[in-house]
Amino acid sequence: MRLPMTSLFAALAVSGALITSMAAAEPLKIATDATFPPFESVDSSGKLVGYDVELMQAVCDAAKLDCDIANAAWDGMIPGLIDGKYDALISQLTVTEKRRKVIAFSDIYDHPIFRFVGKKGTDYTFTDEGLKGKTIAVQTGTPMDAYVTAHYPQATIKRYDSGSAPYLELAAGRADLHLSYQAQITHSFLKGDSGKDYELVGPALTGKDAPEFGEGVAIAINKRNTKLVEQINQGLATIRDNGTLKALNDKYFGE
Amino acid sequence: MNWDIIADNLPRYLEGTKLTLLLTFASLGISFFLALPLAFLRNSNNRVVQYTVLAYTLVFRGTPLLIQLFLIYFGLAQFSLIRDSVIWPWLSSPMVCVLAAFVLNTAAYTTEIFAGGLRTIPVGEIEAARAYGMSGWTQARRILIPAMLTRSLPLYGNEMIMMLHATSLASTVTLLEVTGVARQISLNDYIQFEPYMTAAAIYLTLTFVLVSGFQLVQKRWAGYLQSRIG
Repeated sequence: MRLPMTSLFAALAVSGALITSMAAAEPLKIATDATFPPFESVDSSGKLVGYDVELMQAVCDAAKLDCDIANAAWDGMIPGLIDGKYDALISQLTVTEKRRKVIAFSDIYDHPIFRFVGKKGTDYTFTDEGLKGKTIAVQTGTPMDAYVTAHYPQATIKRYDSGSAPYLELAAGRADLHLSYQAQITHSFLKGDSGKDYELVGPALTGKDAPEFGEGVAIAINKRNTKLVEQINQGLATIRDNGTLKALNDKYFGE
Repeated sequence: MNWDIIADNLPRYLEGTKLTLLLTFASLGISFFLALPLAFLRNSNNRVVQYTVLAYTLVFRGTPLLIQLFLIYFGLAQFSLIRDSVIWPWLSSPMVCVLAAFVLNTAAYTTEIFAGGLRTIPVGEIEAARAYGMSGWTQARRILIPAMLTRSLPLYGNEMIMMLHATSLASTVTLLEVTGVARQISLNDYIQFEPYMTAAAIYLTLTFVLVSGFQLVQKRWAGYLQSRIG
């Protein structure tokens, strides 16, 4: 009776060790909200593409990390990172005080410009009084949402779960203005057919203009995983030094 | 746990609950009066009428409510013909789109429930009405409709609960009912358990009140059926 029991325990121990080693070999789960071209979107074959996706892959390669980038819904991303469902997030996430309290960030890799988009030929005064009664569409829980909520309380603010729905509303005439990343507006709306009657309007905004826009965009990482923060920063430094980041910037935003 | 965030947001939950109740009762109220005549037409001897109503209930019971809502809210907005028409001021409002989708959907189910109730009325009750010399209208008003409604009550009660829960879809088109409030807290404060748990508790409470009220109604008006079963 003794022998089988010991062998059973031995077998258990071996399989236990196997499971742990398998867990260690599992790729890092990285989530992105792929409704935000040119940064992250799904192409016609269902593949994740975009600036952030390529940048993340380059960082992973440079840091010798095995990464699995997956599409996730915006509303579950940050909670999922906090709960450990994901190891990191790349989704043009701006670094803000509020977010720093709950998640860690890598070094900043980009400083986006935020713009309003509206119908060609309309004249808006970008003050709270001037936008009174106008409808502004934004994606919920983004810096753009925080900015219009704080600065234009007299405007009607409509909030959407995805980055693409505000354009449908703009084209339908349900919204007068939409505030987002300039590159995203140009790429996913103005270049297309439905955006031909629209243009960028109002001031070009950055983190220097309002604290809501944050310090810049970075990769978000679980707070407890300080090792991963280091590894990703190392990867970022490598691709910055070897020209990969510049090549990527030229590819997506070069004239 | 971050329950203090929920406590700070209780006024928003209250607003959300008001909207949830408004959507539920407006949809149920309007669809009730649509389903009454439709149930009779569904049992009409005229094949064309019967199949037209059947086609309507099949389409709206055969497709998900979320798809119906998206088609009405986003889909119709795509056509400039509709955007330039007189109904656009109405259709551009999320409230109108949501109510239209909810009413069309729940009226389809309610029609089938009522029509089923109508078919189960014992022939004797109808014959007795005729023997009294009641006209068709009086028959419907005094015998058929009350008998149909009392027999449909248990199923209709379920449909009311389903409608209450289905209002959570309104949050997908910017209306901040209970689910919308929960989602917004989740997106702004990066917590999920607390806001959705609070929303669930609100729906449970509302359902409980609805079910209790329904039991009273059933006892009062459908009691005569009860004794026959028990």
